[in-house]
Amino acid sequence: MRVYQVPQHAFLLLVGGALLAAAPHLLLGPPWLRILLPLLLLARVLIQRGRLAMPGRMVRVVLLAGVVLGTLYTHGTVLGPEAGTCLLIAAFGLKTLEMFRLRDAYVLLVLGYFVLATTFLFYQSPLAALYVFVVMVLLTASLVGINRPETGARSRTHLRLASVMLLQALPLMVLLFVLVPRIAPLWALEFQSEGARTGMSDSMAPGEVSRLTESTELAFRVEFEGAVPSPAERYWRGMTYSLFDGRRWSQASPGGLPRPDLVIFPGQGTAPWHEQLQAQHAAMADTDAAPVYRYRVVQEASRRPWLYTLAVPFVRGPARGIGQVRDFRLVKEGDIEQRFAYSVESYPLLTAAVGLPDWERDFNLALPELGNPRSRQLAQRLFDAEGGDVEAYALRVLAHFRQEPFYYTLEPPLLGGNTVDEFLFDTRRGFCEHYASAFAFMMRAAGVPARIVAGYQGGELNPVGNHLRVHQYHAHAWAEIWIDGQGWVEFDPTGAVAPERIERGMDRFLGREMGALQNLLSGAAFSRNPLLARLRNSIDYLQFSWQKWVLGYDESSQMAFLERWLKDVSPLRIGLVLLIGTVAILLPVALWVLLRRRGPPRSPLQREYRALRKQLLRSNIAVSEGLPPRAVSETVARACPAAADAIRAWVSQYEQAAYAEHADAQALQRLRRLRRALRWRLRRSALSG
Amino acid sequence: MATAGMRSLYRRWLDRRMPAARQQQLTQRRIFILPTGYGVFFMVIAGSLFLGGINYENNLIMALSFLMTSLFMIAILHTFRNLSGLVLRAGRMAPGFAGTDGALELVLHAGDQQAHTGLWLAYPGAAPEEVSVSPGEEKNVWLSVPLRRRGYNRAGRVRIESRYPLGLLRAWSLLDMDQACLGWPRPLASEECPAGGGEQLQGQYAGRQRGSDDFQGLRSYQEGDSPRQVDWKAYAAGRGLHSKHFADPAEGWLWLDWSLLPAMDTETRLGRLAWWVLALEQRQQRYGLRLPGTELPPALGADQRRRALDMLGLYGENIQGGEH
Repeated sequence: MRVYQVPQHAFLLLVGGALLAAAPHLLLGPPWLRILLPLLLLARVLIQRGRLAMPGRMVRVVLLAGVVLGTLYTHGTVLGPEAGTCLLIAAFGLKTLEMFRLRDAYVLLVLGYFVLATTFLFYQSPLAALYVFVVMVLLTASLVGINRPETGARSRTHLRLASVMLLQALPLMVLLFVLVPRIAPLWALEFQSEGARTGMSDSMAPGEVSRLTESTELAFRVEFEGAVPSPAERYWRGMTYSLFDGRRWSQASPGGLPRPDLVIFPGQGTAPWHEQLQAQHAAMADTDAAPVYRYRVVQEASRRPWLYTLAVPFVRGPARGIGQVRDFRLVKEGDIEQRFAYSVESYPLLTAAVGLPDWERDFNLALPELGNPRSRQLAQRLFDAEGGDVEAYALRVLAHFRQEPFYYTLEPPLLGGNTVDEFLFDTRRGFCEHYASAFAFMMRAAGVPARIVAGYQGGELNPVGNHLRVHQYHAHAWAEIWIDGQGWVEFDPTGAVAPERIERGMDRFLGREMGALQNLLSGAAFSRNPLLARLRNSIDYLQFSWQKWVLGYDESSQMAFLERWLKDVSPLRIGLVLLIGTVAILLPVALWVLLRRRGPPRSPLQREYRALRKQLLRSNIAVSEGLPPRAVSETVARACPAAADAIRAWVSQYEQAAYAEHADAQALQRLRRLRRALRWRLRRSALSG
Repeated sequence: MATAGMRSLYRRWLDRRMPAARQQQLTQRRIFILPTGYGVFFMVIAGSLFLGGINYENNLIMALSFLMTSLFMIAILHTFRNLSGLVLRAGRMAPGFAGTDGALELVLHAGDQQAHTGLWLAYPGAAPEEVSVSPGEEKNVWLSVPLRRRGYNRAGRVRIESRYPLGLLRAWSLLDMDQACLGWPRPLASEECPAGGGEQLQGQYAGRQRGSDDFQGLRSYQEGDSPRQVDWKAYAAGRGLHSKHFADPAEGWLWLDWSLLPAMDTETRLGRLAWWVLALEQRQQRYGLRLPGTELPPALGADQRRRALDMLGLYGENIQGGEH
């Protein structure tokens, strides 16, 4: 068997492509991999140059064993995406060492595409996609190179061809991306990315939400169909806390309650409350006048299951993996480990849809038997003063916050055992959780069912994309009380104390409260310079569009998109559109690739003759196509005597070449030289004449 | 023998679809295309990326698998284009002895705007030759052909194949270029020289190496005269075809004669004569050749050897096809 040598013109592309395909993993992977892979590729270069012998089988086996052990050492396993890619990259590097046949070069390159794809497990920005595309050009160019055995070829031509082919492939890729049906995962593969849980937690004690406000991290982006609701309407409900232990509010359910009474996931049966809610939703959806918000949320990875929605939310489109919760929320099945998009419609008027059975009423009235005696007394007094009218009482409590010297601050003093009493009567300084907690306590103490809602309030409007950016510092807590006839009604005691927090947004508020550094981080500084603000908004819009249309293009957005364009979506129809689209896209490419000038092929000699005629034409000597060479010579000699010798030399060489059995390259070259000499003569005579 | 039946059916289908011609252009009708093993591997990787994209709900991985699929489809067009438009012309032939390889020339002509890169050409039963043709270029390739018998060997269909640019697909065509290669008789050693009036003249031969230089005059051209004997100057002047006639003394050559090998079958006779042609060439002894109906005047050298062997090879063949 002949020893295969990767052609020199393909070799650099191949090694470069391999290195760049693995590069993103080298940044993330264990240090030994960072050293090993460049070393392996360097060894390959030395082997190609003849400076190093191809390693024997033993060496390769030992290296492979080392790589497996290294992976086990680093990740504790060889399975799963992270350990798997680590192993894949290492094996990919090792593969270069046994690349001595054409077959191995192929395997390496095709594996390269695979390695490249795994980049997207860790990086998903538009820049990452661009990078992957560029490396794909390199790998494809290497494929072109190894298919061209001649030594004379140049890598630049491979690169050009590869780029042309990939650019031609792009429209078809877009078509496939849009039309190929998204199906549910075939087997459960939760991607566990490493990272801290962010955002709200499943319980809340005084001082915990305010800590979130130090983070400028993005929580989610929202795009509305129609007008963006005013800041005061933007209450993003994430979870409710109904259990109070005197200090901490937690998300909990009454013991012994079956799960379907609280949350229903699609395809997992139903419950009376859920059917009731769905029925009311259907009725509401039929009345055009009902107020509704329709929007799409793209939520950053939070490592929590909670989705953030307004009012009473319903998922639009296929609700795969999203459950409906009794307290008007949506949750994901499993934590949000990567960016997650969902479309929702929210009806503010459905807050009474589920009703309030006795167990739920009791649950939302429960208080610790002891503690906070002063608050209980105050509650009773105010409730009696309002004559037992629940709504009037709630407003009265808000007025209390407004009229007494309460302050809204990011740095509230620490509270001791009777948190509510201390806050209401002593410190009177607090952040949203203090107010919400005190309000809900006062409600329950007077026998009004109440619960805390945690989530985000507000959002920064990006005028470029007309979407909202909701940051961690928008985290907020407020309360809901049950009013017979109205259902669960939102009350935000923070609004009573610091209305500008609600009306104008946390961004403004923070701008006043925070130091310069935080100020800068939150983007407040940016918003002051209109040009910078615009730039920042544009980049944000680009990112959001990318997330919405590319990363977040899922089953439901696909359905929505197809329904808009195809009306009736059936597999047959999608298949037909896919077929027609493919043909429509490939046809122009096919014509471009396959069309060529018809007619008898011209020989190199004929083309040389044509070139001469063109050249003469430029010197204003017209020579008709059928004229025999001798006659051409006479015409030129007459028109320009100075060129007579030159044209005769050309004609005689031409005839010699024409009557030779085969036109050889040397004769053609001589002919070309003579033609250049003729051109020079013609020009000179034109200048002197 | 279902396979034999299938094969003949396939051959007949090929003959109908792509009849023999000495010049052919590769067009849609004549090009076949299928994925290679690597192409299948490539699509398997694309497919597994699609599954991975679904399972990790990762749209970008899915997009990459779609891009690979699209690239594969685009590669179909490019691989096809690499063959499409190429003009092939049957060229000369180089005969050989039966049982060895002869060679046939093919002239490849590329259109003005299109290169044909990494083409592999082979006649059945022979090793492929690799060639690339740049736009507007003409290239000739000599392909070896196994010569199974004495006389004209039809070369069959030349396979012209290309995997350029990506190697994921193989485009090929099977063209009947209407070429045949002449097989000379396989030389059969024999002790007895089948020649008349030999030995006593041997002495004179030594001094007469350049006998054919003795120009004697012209006679009108007869079939079988060598082109070298034709007086081309006279022909160009419009005086008709004439052969130069040289004085060859009767002594100093041997007549290898078919009729001196009686009681043998044709191929054995031809084989022996071929062996003696080679033997006499080696001994630098002038010889002529007489076969039933034809005769080659005595001479010596590469031309004579070629002419004699051709004559033996062509014996009993219908004169057609192969040109010299």
